[in-house]
Amino acid sequence: MTTMFFQSGASPVHRLNPTTKLVMALAVTTTAFAIPVVWAPLVLLLVVLVPAVLVAGVQRPYARLLLLFSAPVVLVIFLLQGLFFPEGTTVLAEFGPATVTSEGLLFAAQTSLRLVVMLGSFLFLLLTTHPGVLMSAMVERGMSPNTSYVISATLQIVPAFRARAQNVLRAQQARGLDTTGLRRRVRALLPLVGPLLLGSLADLEERAVAMEARAFGSTTRRTSLVAVADSSAQRWARLLMGAAAVTAIVVNVLGVVR
Amino acid sequence: MTAPRFTLLTRLPPWARIAAGAAVVIITYAYLIATRPTSPHGVGGSAALLALVGYLLGSVLIISGAMSKLTTSTVTLFPVAITINIVIGQLVRISGLPVHLDSIGTVLVAVLAGPAAGAAAGALSSITVGMTINPGSLPYAVTAATIGLLAGTFARFGLFRRVPTVVLAGVLIGVVAGVVSAPITAFVFGNAGGSLGQSAFIATLQVYGNSMLEAASIQGLIADPLDKVVSCLIAYSVLVALPPRLRQRFSFVREHSVFGIDRPAAVPPVRAEAVR
Repeated sequence: MTTMFFQSGASPVHRLNPTTKLVMALAVTTTAFAIPVVWAPLVLLLVVLVPAVLVAGVQRPYARLLLLFSAPVVLVIFLLQGLFFPEGTTVLAEFGPATVTSEGLLFAAQTSLRLVVMLGSFLFLLLTTHPGVLMSAMVERGMSPNTSYVISATLQIVPAFRARAQNVLRAQQARGLDTTGLRRRVRALLPLVGPLLLGSLADLEERAVAMEARAFGSTTRRTSLVAVADSSAQRWARLLMGAAAVTAIVVNVLGVVR
Repeated sequence: MTAPRFTLLTRLPPWARIAAGAAVVIITYAYLIATRPTSPHGVGGSAALLALVGYLLGSVLIISGAMSKLTTSTVTLFPVAITINIVIGQLVRISGLPVHLDSIGTVLVAVLAGPAAGAAAGALSSITVGMTINPGSLPYAVTAATIGLLAGTFARFGLFRRVPTVVLAGVLIGVVAGVVSAPITAFVFGNAGGSLGQSAFIATLQVYGNSMLEAASIQGLIADPLDKVVSCLIAYSVLVALPPRLRQRFSFVREHSVFGIDRPAAVPPVRAEAVR
């Protein structure tokens, strides 16, 4: 079930510095949430994200994943806030306890669009950027190598851990563990979880010693084997995107657009 | 030689970054509660933005502070703990139980290595899930950090020595976690982030005249304590079953005798104060 979102490719978007794409994702999300105009996130989606995705050539997985993640939430938002919005005053229709208000629909539309943009901008980042490259770019910018190690190692451990869970489950089933029916499955969770956790924690000591022997605990600044490409154009682009996001926040705080 | 960009961040000492991060989170929450963002026009506008930006900034500060002062054995614990969160979280989701159990690993790290490490493990866990399974978990990094921070603090004061106090710790963690995550559920996700049952319950609460934030908080206060009690109990039973040698490798466990007096001989006699 773990999906590494990354789709390898050779497009100009793939070759961008990961920090640029991260700044873009953050700036687009912030701007979408900062501008209190309902259709603003839609504009951001169509003007910024869709062209970037098309250039990267990842439109098919992008559309599929965005729909997968946002459709259920959008549906629930419209059902929940369209029918039961607590602060609605302009009643459009009433069905028993449910009242459709224009404020509720407005809120549902605004929140849904913002969510779609938030999920969309991070999906764009993750589909076009390998997590490992993102991490090394972040370490170059001063993030602790510990953090980079934790995230990279987790992405590698999860499949092994899942295989181990399968093995434990099979071993318990071979001893007669019944996993049919909800109540039995709940009871089966305990003999599954115990050996799984104990086994994986017992491995830790060796790994720590091995890493310590390879100077993992060293506090000096490390050099990187693979230098992440950057350009002055991207540096300016990051500055501009940051400035745009800050402007949007200032506009929001001052309440200019309302 | 690339110029470090986060100079302001890295110049602060680690404890100051953790404290600043916690302060940002608390101020964000207090402001969201105090202002009661219910303007009839553009509802949820700045509240959603503030919840996102404030909580994100706080989590980043906490991660950056906590991660820079960890020992290697704690760092190797992190990937395993996050994997435990992810895999058990998925197992439980498939089984259709009304709990998440996606913070067992966070509690493990917090009890073994202290509140700061626990907070970082929680936040990084949410970020990893956001990067691999569902980007929707990214805004909830602050909740996971709170869970780790509290679990570590409770372990520090000896609540992880016996089962009844572990249950108490779980309830308290659940209450705070439910309250902290409410603004995200309400303002960022429009109260529609969770399962269908959760949303139906929130709808009922809204019909009875609760505001969105109140509905999300009540839902969290009911669902989260149960989840966190079970998570803490599982983490506790795993830790108790570990060989004492493994547990005592962590200086946090030794200094504060987190599991009671495990092996008196293994405890270093003095300097417990000097080390901190």
